[in-house]
Amino acid sequence: MSTDASNEVRVAAVAAATRATRAAGAETPAGGGQPAPAGRRRLLTERNRPLWMLIPGGVLMIVIIVLPLLLGIYMSVLNLDQYTLRKWISAPFIGVDNFVEALTASPLLHAVWLSVSYSLIAMLVTLPLGIAAAVATQNAFRGRAVVRSIFLIPYVLPSFVVATVWRIMFQPEGVVDKALGTIGIHAGLWLNGPQTFWTLILVQIWASWPFIYLLALSGLQAVDHEVHEASALDGALWWNKLRFVIFPYLKGPLSLAFLIGMLHHINNFTLPFVLFGIPAPSDVEVLPILTYVTSFQSFRFGLSAAMAFISLILIAIPLFIYLRAVKLDDAETPGGKK
Amino acid sequence: MTTSTALRTPPEPALTRPGSRRQAEVTRLLPGPLLAVILVLLGALVLVPVVYIFLASVNSDLGVARGEFWPSSFSLGNYSTIWSSVGLAGGLANSVLVAGATAVVSAALAVSTAFVLVRYNFRGRLTILRGLLGLQSVPGTLMVLPVFVLFSSAFTYLGVQVIGTQWGLFVTYLTFAMPFSTWVMVTYLRGLPRELEEAARIDGASNLGVLFKIILPLSWPGIVVSGIFAFLLGWNDVLFASVMTRPGSQTAAVALQTFTVSQEGGTIPYYGQMMAAALVCAAPVVVLYLIFQRYLVGGLTAGGVK
Repeated sequence: MSTDASNEVRVAAVAAATRATRAAGAETPAGGGQPAPAGRRRLLTERNRPLWMLIPGGVLMIVIIVLPLLLGIYMSVLNLDQYTLRKWISAPFIGVDNFVEALTASPLLHAVWLSVSYSLIAMLVTLPLGIAAAVATQNAFRGRAVVRSIFLIPYVLPSFVVATVWRIMFQPEGVVDKALGTIGIHAGLWLNGPQTFWTLILVQIWASWPFIYLLALSGLQAVDHEVHEASALDGALWWNKLRFVIFPYLKGPLSLAFLIGMLHHINNFTLPFVLFGIPAPSDVEVLPILTYVTSFQSFRFGLSAAMAFISLILIAIPLFIYLRAVKLDDAETPGGKK
Repeated sequence: MTTSTALRTPPEPALTRPGSRRQAEVTRLLPGPLLAVILVLLGALVLVPVVYIFLASVNSDLGVARGEFWPSSFSLGNYSTIWSSVGLAGGLANSVLVAGATAVVSAALAVSTAFVLVRYNFRGRLTILRGLLGLQSVPGTLMVLPVFVLFSSAFTYLGVQVIGTQWGLFVTYLTFAMPFSTWVMVTYLRGLPRELEEAARIDGASNLGVLFKIILPLSWPGIVVSGIFAFLLGWNDVLFASVMTRPGSQTAAVALQTFTVSQEGGTIPYYGQMMAAALVCAAPVVVLYLIFQRYLVGGLTAGGVK
């Protein structure tokens, strides 16, 4: 899942994905280094396939994901509120009215704008932070293991914990205001009013830069020793070496991180929900919050389903690119279409 | 996408050889002073808030409200009162129960599903693999309402009470953990050599025999990782838990929110207690990470070397 599926889950997804893409190339030296004869590499295709093992997982996914997904789409064309919900099967059919209302008479477009801009700004700040952290901890030094563990703290903490503690820190007269006050800045309200948008971005940055860091680190590890030697021989200055030699290695992992990070930010429900509570200030009414409020505060279930459907289309864009980028299969699979 | 990383040398032991200073000089990426500045800034970015959380958790509510960084009075009292002011203990117990069950069952299902997906060829295999990736990104806010309606219908039409029970949460988390857990196992099992399985088959092992006697013992690290991520998914979820639980079945994530809700009456909120409770909620996750750090981050830091 994704919603508030925390960063952690994402990172490993990337780990798995990167490994999968690598496996495609690095498959050959499986055992003793000699490629096995072609016949052995074939998957078992005999009759005796234990396909029944797919049933439990398959049933779960059909009942809890596919069925509700279809149900959600169906609900988006119904006039569904707290009175008709009990007997939703016989709720009045109103066609595209929910969609029309969502697009013209609801804060949906504003929410889309908020979601996209907040995700993008947070991403643009976390990228350099993560890269700097990865580059700084790539070379061995005394205490590096400790530093790496420290960098991972925000990534380890559950989202709801992060949001709770920042909520307290951003209280009026709280520790953030006090600290800023000592250097003469009076920032105003963090948890109410227009500044909430930036509060959300700040906390999101704090929570998600280690994700970029991990991905950048995995990219750096792909740099061969010979590459370092070559650039040392050429007498490259550190900046030129980073710029022209090292950064190209980061392009792959970081574009993946960008896609998945954007998906995660856009889907992030926990952070705004816990940070600002419900009802959220209108400047942080991002898509997940708006969808949630429309369902469980205004009880406009049909409208909410339409909003959810529209946000699914928005998410489908990065998702589609991501799915295209990840190789599903390793090279050895027969019939595996590439 | 990362084809350039396909070929790699194993992590070179060069750094530990004599003359390693030369080696370190060659691989060095940043000049010393800049390195120090980056480390200090990023370290402070993380540590200042984290240290503050610890300090605030032993501070008084009033002290936190006044914005004290260094508490004017230290007391561990918050850590004892959190258990009585809201249902945190019950919440933690429910979280452990639901997330733990999710972890175990999803890891078990993931390994058997991945086994079939990796080792057998059949129609629809690629579709399933693609689906596993795609389903990971279905937004929860899209799913929560229909799942809620589905579960309520189970009561209306079948007489089965799902909403408000731990079962409902368990089934939901299990399902949402499955695509990812399975994907982890798929990538892990791909890395296992086939020779052992083939030998076992020649000796007459059945499919189940291969799964239990060969695959399971070899894939513990992968199973642990997929189980832990399923656990984290259940532990960290707020969305489904806030909609589908009743006070008796609420998880720690929801219980923590009740500190805020119960305190909007004009008095000073239990800030100190909230900090303590937040740390308690984070503790199991942090402990899991510390124990399994090597496996969890290993896939990345070791760069896919198995």
